[in-house]
Amino acid sequence: MKNDKNAMGGGAAMSGRARLWLKGGFLAAALTLAFFAGREFWELRHFKETVVSAPGLTEVKMLSEYLGNLKGTWMDTPIFVYDSGVPGGSALYMANVHPYEPATSLSAYIMMENIKVSKGKIFVIPQGNRSGSTTGMLGNAYPKFFHVKTEFGEKRFRIGDRGTNPLDQWPDPFTYVNYPSKQNLAYQDIRNMNRTYPGRKDGTLTERASFAIMELIRREKIDISIDAHEASLMYPVVSTYVAHERSFELAMMAAMTLSAETFDMKCESSPKGLRGLSHREWGDYSDTLAVLMETPEPFIDRVVGPMTEELFTEGKDEFLATAAKHGLTYHPYNLEFGSPLWYRCGRHLSGAASAITWMNQFFPEKEIIAEWPGYKDLEAHDCGYFLHDPAKAEGKLVFKI
Amino acid sequence: MVMLEQIIHVIYVLFAAVIGWFLLRNLFKRERRPGIVYDIVYAYCVIPFLLRVLGIK
Repeated sequence: MKNDKNAMGGGAAMSGRARLWLKGGFLAAALTLAFFAGREFWELRHFKETVVSAPGLTEVKMLSEYLGNLKGTWMDTPIFVYDSGVPGGSALYMANVHPYEPATSLSAYIMMENIKVSKGKIFVIPQGNRSGSTTGMLGNAYPKFFHVKTEFGEKRFRIGDRGTNPLDQWPDPFTYVNYPSKQNLAYQDIRNMNRTYPGRKDGTLTERASFAIMELIRREKIDISIDAHEASLMYPVVSTYVAHERSFELAMMAAMTLSAETFDMKCESSPKGLRGLSHREWGDYSDTLAVLMETPEPFIDRVVGPMTEELFTEGKDEFLATAAKHGLTYHPYNLEFGSPLWYRCGRHLSGAASAITWMNQFFPEKEIIAEWPGYKDLEAHDCGYFLHDPAKAEGKLVFKI
Repeated sequence: MVMLEQIIHVIYVLFAAVIGWFLLRNLFKRERRPGIVYDIVYAYCVIPFLLRVLGIK
């Protein structure tokens, strides 16, 4: 009995040297765990996605060109410019502002790899919050990557966090106060790029990135700015355009057209009292027509089962299906179809095209003529069909992000 | 503000290093709670601070 107590309580019977070895052994075991865990985190932090741009690429800028103090930070991100050379309007397509919604960046890659612009200019930012795409969400235990099948093998893409990586911006305050509205928001929203607009040039890293986006929109005089997101199905704004009041009519028409011809799309007006979001601040602090789009992503719903890669790519979950049967989702959902990756990318690609088409109708002087694969193309061929083999592509069109 | 943020960031990383150091020291040299279970806890708790200081997580 005495020996048992010693073994559990202090090891008094153990010699000093043996105890030291035991402690060293525990430390070695912990360091071994740290090595394997650290290797996983390191891989996500440093993995780069590959994209093969369409030949129409005219320029690649960096976000730091619009705010110098972003240079060398993890928030500096490439901006791909497709200029037809024909005078017309300009559009911005921005993805992965919330990097745990990476169907948005995949849709941007599909756009970039296949785009043809014959009038006006298109700016594409595939990694809006590049820092956030280099870490997973704390406590959510989901895969680091998802894979897309192509004719030349599987392509790998990151699944990131909602906000900026705490390695790059940390600590968080008790309450985040949006600048300049002074609205109090949740503390973690200080790292949420879609709560820090219009940003400030000497603020936190996320605020600076938001400010640089505003500068891009203002300096390039971008006519329509589209912010691509994904939403949980139990969130009322899923499958929706959220539009600033100046772009509300075009977004409403785009939603009606899409709902009649291809897929259900709702439209909501950006609340004036909710600050820091792109659909509000882009419109208030620039002349652009601001539109945000949401697709249904079961992966980020609170009620789903294991957060696997299959859940991300196929979007099938029995718990969510049960919730849908009880009328708890804001998007029609069933287990037979789920919410596959092609569906979400297709929605975004057709959603962006439709918004631009209707801007052309309302503002003919801002006309943009551009084409890229849409919902029906992805329905027929899936995503991988539209990605090109980097090994066979011209070197100057291959980028690692 | 940018510099201030960077200074705060560095201070917190230093905090992580200091706490990691105390955990390590307490693993090998402590007077209270001498049990083996606490050895395991101290060794395990070093991990997040080590990863933070190394800029990995």
